[in-house]
Amino acid sequence: MFRLHDAELTHSNGFVALRDIALAAEAGEQLAIVGPSGAGKTTLLRLISTALRPTRGRIDLLGGDPWALSAAELRRLRARIAVAHQAPPLPPRQRVVTAVLAGRLGQWPWWKGMASLLYPADITGARAALLRLELGERLFDRCDRLSGGQLQRVGIARVLYQQAQLVLADEPVSALDPALALQTVQVMCGDAAARGATLVASLHAVDLARSCFPRIVGMRDGRIVFDLPVAAVDDALLSELYATEGGGLPLLAGEPAGMSLPARAAGLPPRGTCWR
Amino acid sequence: MKHPRDPAAPGRAAALLLAIVILWPLGVIGEFHPWTLFEAQNLRVMGGFLAAFLPPAVGGEFLAHLGRATLETLAIATAGIALAFVLAVPLAMATTQALSVSRIGPGPGRRRGEWLRAALRVVLVVLRGLPELVWALLFVRVFGLGPAAGVLALGLTYGGMLAKVYAEILESGDSRPARALLEAGASRLQALCYGLLPGAAQELTSYTVYRWECAVRASVVMGFVGAGGLGQLMDQSMRMLNGSEAASILLTFLVLVLAADALSGLLRRQLGETDGRAGALAFGRRSSLWLLLLGSALLASYLWLDLGLAALLSAAALASMAAYFGAFFPLDLSPDWLASVAWGALETVAISALGTLLAAAAGLLLALPASGRYGQAFEQLTRFLLNALRSVPELVWATLMALAAGLGPFAGILALALHTSGVLGRLFAEALQNAPPRPRDALLEAGTPSASAFLYGTLPEVSPQLIAYSLYRWEMNIRMAAILGFVGAGGLGQLLYVKLSLFQYPQASTVIAAMLLLSVAVDAGSAWLRRWLASPGG
Repeated sequence: MFRLHDAELTHSNGFVALRDIALAAEAGEQLAIVGPSGAGKTTLLRLISTALRPTRGRIDLLGGDPWALSAAELRRLRARIAVAHQAPPLPPRQRVVTAVLAGRLGQWPWWKGMASLLYPADITGARAALLRLELGERLFDRCDRLSGGQLQRVGIARVLYQQAQLVLADEPVSALDPALALQTVQVMCGDAAARGATLVASLHAVDLARSCFPRIVGMRDGRIVFDLPVAAVDDALLSELYATEGGGLPLLAGEPAGMSLPARAAGLPPRGTCWR
Repeated sequence: MKHPRDPAAPGRAAALLLAIVILWPLGVIGEFHPWTLFEAQNLRVMGGFLAAFLPPAVGGEFLAHLGRATLETLAIATAGIALAFVLAVPLAMATTQALSVSRIGPGPGRRRGEWLRAALRVVLVVLRGLPELVWALLFVRVFGLGPAAGVLALGLTYGGMLAKVYAEILESGDSRPARALLEAGASRLQALCYGLLPGAAQELTSYTVYRWECAVRASVVMGFVGAGGLGQLMDQSMRMLNGSEAASILLTFLVLVLAADALSGLLRRQLGETDGRAGALAFGRRSSLWLLLLGSALLASYLWLDLGLAALLSAAALASMAAYFGAFFPLDLSPDWLASVAWGALETVAISALGTLLAAAAGLLLALPASGRYGQAFEQLTRFLLNALRSVPELVWATLMALAAGLGPFAGILALALHTSGVLGRLFAEALQNAPPRPRDALLEAGTPSASAFLYGTLPEVSPQLIAYSLYRWEMNIRMAAILGFVGAGGLGQLLYVKLSLFQYPQASTVIAAMLLLSVAVDAGSAWLRRWLASPGG
């Protein structure tokens, strides 16, 4: 699906955000990226989504080097990649239905995109995506009427609607309460699994990552520290990763490390149920 | 599962239908006949005139005239805008909701405050409801030919405009700091300086400089009614179809506008820089220098123009003024005259609406390259084109368009469209540049074609601003459309010009009243429309 070869990214101000990144994922794989703030998780996702170009090294994406493509080919490639943003980039005055339908603008012919501004082209599809995130009733509301958590889920609904082969998620549930966060990540994992799409998510809450993803990538200071199956990721390893942050590990609901799942009391499924 | 329908669709369809139902008759009234542009005779006249543009006139005597007229134009604009500023600041402070003390609580004197605010709003409407050229035309008959009438006319009209826009800018920002200060017992002036100006000073300054630039253009036109400046020269050259002189004068307009542009940009950048200063002095050395320069420019303007303002306030002058304005009453309200005035008003509305609509469409198309999305070269090229379009006053465009399309309202539509597309294109480009880039970038990163990314990611963010700009320009264009009749482009202006020339003051004052009414109606209408657009589902 994608493969990074010793990729390095230096910002224009000279700051080296990523170095020696070697990472690959096969079709249908699901992996979570964890690490302290400033570790380079977002930059890595932007590198994979072709929003940033590696200053050194190479990236193979969906069967080729994206930066060797023509503009039109690159655009078609990008239409096959979906990104869920931490702060969803939705115009406040846009309606939810339009914001969700915008996910397929890269696949639609241009006239369909224009026509959809006059009358939404696929209300049923947009509604179906929203219903999976329990937002069906906000279909025709304006985005600025939504709370931060609802807006984040509209962003995810757009990603679901896009039906991309590669789904990248940058802290996609940071504004949601623990139960809803777990449920939303489960929806994303389930959707990707059902379609055989690859899912890469950066997550702040390590317990959420461990409970939903079979493979965990730990990052720190722009480097990949470990890349292991979830079973091999124990608290000691994570504590070391987050060593400078002080206190315990960042968890979904703030329980001390080792208490595995946040909402077990609420009757939610125990660790490891949302992947097969 | 029930198939959901878009609840907003019927409203949109109705709005579209309404737009067609309104625009069609406007097109008929405005004699919207684009094909007249391509008639052989019009093409020949226009072609001959344009061919004479090259080379522009550079004779020594002509250049001396041009230089003197340019200086006079600048002086009229500067003195006029200073008078307008002096009028506008207290009016804006009194009318803005952001500085209302009585609204807190609500406290004592709330009713009185609202009445006062409403009364002052009426004063503002009267001040800016009449075009500066109408004020100038009226004042020229009292104060005689010369720049005094121009300065006063500019001061009154722009005072009303500045006050309104200042009040709106103060209301549009974050009002909480000022409110907190007022709640802590600060005076309005203190709350303005400590709570509102830090956030709004930059916008206020840049708008004032922009208005000064408009004042330069307006004072250019003052010459057409005998109030001095470049207009006089332009009028002569146009009458004689002297293309090379007209070209020189048009180039002078362009240079003037570009210079004002550069000054505005410089000022804005410097305002941004002083923000970061950590010194104790509020004004840095450079700001003090600017203020000093501004002061001397004002002084020079008043000295150069030799206005003799004291003489204007003598008893004899006041008495003759009273007698002159007394002749305008009572208004001629006979049914026949009212009918012709009503038709003139309709024509004015049609000219302004179609002109603004064309300008908004052209402005948006030009704003796309001007906002830099097709590269540096296109940006510079379209910016130059926009500057050229807006540096030529509407009235001058109207005289040119009367050559190209014949006399009548269609020339007025074209004139407004040409000038306003320059103005709107520039404003639109700025709005596009300031739009948050993330929604569009995210769409582009998802492989969206750039046109769709613009429509889905950028336009929803900027459309309220674009519509507000267009509505505001329409409001200004209604007043402008009323003047275009002075050079034979239809509407109320034609009636007023004829009646004033014939000294038929009661009829003229009916036309003036109609202009005011129109302005009030547009004010109310555009405010309502803006509220409706800001409401959900709009």
